[in-house]
Amino acid sequence: MNLIDQVEQLFIQDKIDIFLGYKALDGHLLPHGFTRDRMEELKALQVSEGRYSLEKIATHLTEKHPDIRIGMIARECNLRTLNLLYTWKQLNPENIETINISCCPSPLKPHSDCSYLEPKQTGAYKKTHGIDFNADPDTFLDDFNNKNRFSRWMYEFNKCIKCYGCRNICPVCFCDECSLEHASLVEPGTLPVDVPIFHLIRATHMAGRCIDCGLCEDACPMDIPLRLLYRQVNAIVSDIFDYRPGNGTDQSPFTIIGEKTVLEPKPMDAQLEGEKEYGL
Amino acid sequence: MDCKFVPAVCSYCGTGCGVLFEVIDGKINATLPMKSHPVNHGKLCIKGWNLHEYINSYMRLKTPLIKEDGRFQKATWDEAIGHAAVKFNQIKDQFGPDAIGVLVSAKITNEENYLAQKFTRAVIGTNNVDHCARL
Amino acid sequence: MTIKRIRFMQELLTFFGLEGRLHLEWISSAEAQKYVQVVTDFTEKIRQMGPNPLKKIDAAVKGAI
Ligand code: SF4
Ligand code: SF4
Ligand code: SF4
Ligand code: SF4
Repeated sequence: MNLIDQVEQLFIQDKIDIFLGYKALDGHLLPHGFTRDRMEELKALQVSEGRYSLEKIATHLTEKHPDIRIGMIARECNLRTLNLLYTWKQLNPENIETINISCCPSPLKPHSDCSYLEPKQTGAYKKTHGIDFNADPDTFLDDFNNKNRFSRWMYEFNKCIKCYGCRNICPVCFCDECSLEHASLVEPGTLPVDVPIFHLIRATHMAGRCIDCGLCEDACPMDIPLRLLYRQVNAIVSDIFDYRPGNGTDQSPFTIIGEKTVLEPKPMDAQLEGEKEYGL
Repeated sequence: MDCKFVPAVCSYCGTGCGVLFEVIDGKINATLPMKSHPVNHGKLCIKGWNLHEYINSYMRLKTPLIKEDGRFQKATWDEAIGHAAVKFNQIKDQFGPDAIGVLVSAKITNEENYLAQKFTRAVIGTNNVDHCARL
Repeated sequence: MTIKRIRFMQELLTFFGLEGRLHLEWISSAEAQKYVQVVTDFTEKIRQMGPNPLKKIDAAVKGAI
């Protein structure tokens, strides 16, 4: 059964209220929420090469409508994220239906929609002064000594323009209050950003949490090899704690979130608060 | 319930990054970078990432305001533009056209910038015109 | 758990290039001798490594502003 028929069935069997997929608009494949009221749109449903975090959109929808049932296209990375979001009670597995699309490169499946099939290019200067995007954590440790590793990471971190893109795009960054906006850790309103604190905070938070989707590295305007850092952090977690995020739904033994998280709406929009304050 | 994504161009600077507005129930809820946009290839700066905040801000001006007796009063566009025209004429008559200067922006189009300098030179009659990209 | 957490931090710092600057040791309140030994050894080790390279960078940044 093809994708569109499958989604149609989900609607007919009344299993979902909305389906998150992709639709072409002016030549761009963009995410879109398909609903029962506009079934005719389903004809345009597609899978996209560019990956948007449909799970994050699902959490936003759940904030507004706690009982909404959501269907979505799910690649391997989406499935790992969903597991993690179930673990930390950001989404309820009973309200999510996935249509799985396997796209990770494997010998059985030469074709893949994942943008990671093509390795990222690293320029010559970055190779000599910074860090190769495609480096492997172990060879990175073997190839460079302590001092060299330090100067290479500092070269990379110092480029940061503090756009918060890595956090904003990350499907597993869902904290109400983010440490990266905590004035005593990261000074607000100044550049360069507090290096390496900013990046090491995030690295520590991604331990036992990052599911290696690579969206942060894609969104980083300064080409900082964030994925390499988070991959190593999780290799350490896997060594010491024997835990791999996203594989199942048990909580990580190493975490900074605390023991309990709840599925509850985030604080009210700034708009509503402002309107209240000013009596508008 | 409804959830759609509307492509747009960031309104903060002349780079013109492609953004996607996440619209839930008719209200802009978040901003995302557009992955396939030729300008920014899925990246944004901190201003672009927070576009939805000013769109939804309660402090945002939705109508023109005219200050009367030290307080801003809501006005229509016709009243506001008429008021500005009268005041400009007064300044020009009293102090001469060089008392007026015009600053234009990288966020408007080439054609609008052209019109603005034409307006400054031909209508107001001064060479005091400059552009934010030159400041 | 603390041992594991510190091991995590040590390995993260190693990857970042600040190897050997974090040390954890269990010492009971009765082991004054061991306490002195551990602190002296670690201080000596750090002295040999020289000051934290981040300090220099911090000062340079402050100087620039
Ligand atoms: S790869 Fe980046 S965006 Fe993806 S889960 Fe890890 S930290 Fe988040
Ligand atoms: S995990 Fe850390 S970086 Fe991410 S949102 Fe939470 S506090 Fe911020
Ligand atoms: S995305 Fe890159 S430049 Fe932006 S805050 Fe994160 S590390 Fe810094
Ligand atoms: S996202 Fe930043 S760089 Fe891009 S147009 Fe907006 S303000 Fe300019």
